[in-house]
Amino acid sequence: MLWQGLIIGILFGIVLQRSRMCFNSAIRDIKFNKDNYLVKMAVVAILIQTLGFHLVASLGWIKLNPEPLIPLAQIIGGFLFGMGMVLAGGCASGVTYRIGEGYITAILAGLSFGISAAAVRKGALNFINSWFGSPITVTLQDPGIYNAVDGKINPTIANVLGINPWIIAIIFSILLAIYIFGVKTTERKVTGLNWIQGGIALGIVGILAYLSQKSYALGITGGWVNLLGGTVAGAPYNWKGMIILGIIIGAFISALISKEFKLRVPKDPKTYLQVILGGILMGFGAGVAAGCNIGHILSGIPHLALSSILALIFFVLGNWFMYWYLYERR
Amino acid sequence: MEIRPNYVLDVRGEVCPVPDVETKRKLKTMKSGEILEVLIDYPLSKERIPQGAKEVGGEVLGIEEIGPSEWKIIIKKL
Repeated sequence: MLWQGLIIGILFGIVLQRSRMCFNSAIRDIKFNKDNYLVKMAVVAILIQTLGFHLVASLGWIKLNPEPLIPLAQIIGGFLFGMGMVLAGGCASGVTYRIGEGYITAILAGLSFGISAAAVRKGALNFINSWFGSPITVTLQDPGIYNAVDGKINPTIANVLGINPWIIAIIFSILLAIYIFGVKTTERKVTGLNWIQGGIALGIVGILAYLSQKSYALGITGGWVNLLGGTVAGAPYNWKGMIILGIIIGAFISALISKEFKLRVPKDPKTYLQVILGGILMGFGAGVAAGCNIGHILSGIPHLALSSILALIFFVLGNWFMYWYLYERR
Repeated sequence: MEIRPNYVLDVRGEVCPVPDVETKRKLKTMKSGEILEVLIDYPLSKERIPQGAKEVGGEVLGIEEIGPSEWKIIIKKL
């Protein structure tokens, strides 16, 4: 339903703006600034969604739909995406919500992300997907809480091992809880949501999104592809596209109310080129890798999907490499 | 008492994480006791810089709102 997508999107935009959650910052800060504030926020959200997704799927309200595993695509696409978010000045959700805060560079990064993702998913660059091979799937007699297409399921740790998904979900949740409670959080005085509130809010929005769409977890890439496709090529708008529109509207309202809306432009014209290049790399990477930082990290890791675990590793490596190249290399 | 900065760094409009990177780079080159004033309009960096400054021997003395989503951060090199 379009209106449900729009409402979830607005909520997501408000939460992103108030929590300042950005995976580009989170991944960089923990390595180069010894600052785990945003990583801990993400881990709280992932913990809530790991338990939440498995619970609502067990109740029969949704079917878990892990992202397809195409190892080469997640390795190469993941690395390109990771590099792209550093150049773009934000991850896929980060640049999308910052459009609502008035960042002109975010508009350029978001649009170039959407165009390049659309080219890979539906357009002129679609042929590239065949270079990465076809998805590896698992066939189970009883798919249980998973969404199966012709009996085939995208692999997760649990379904590859052939064990009850709750076993893996609970072990993983305990590990996350040990990290949350056992590791000291970097101090930060915030005016919005703190890491605990932000993590809880993100987790709840993710669960609401899944409940509203039933077999598709929250993501950004498919939404940009739909929003642009619907606008320029007349394809019907869908729930995913409305999420993107909603994020921008929600972040705009939230920024206005908290007096953080401002049209911002960088001084060096090269920055515009840098963010466009970053958007193109991110769109290409997320396009082939079957998801961005939301699809693969926020939504994908709670599934314990092999695709998302692999993509996360290469998002991180790509981010660290490009940050080092741009800012640490002497 | 108004603190007179030795240096002023204007990172308004810059993309993430340029405000953090430039602030830390500048602090590294400063002498003990010198004051850096950072003009910033990126809320995330405004909240992240106090911790980041500590790592390179800086201490944030104050953050003052100077306009719509614009702040002035006063940092002393220890």
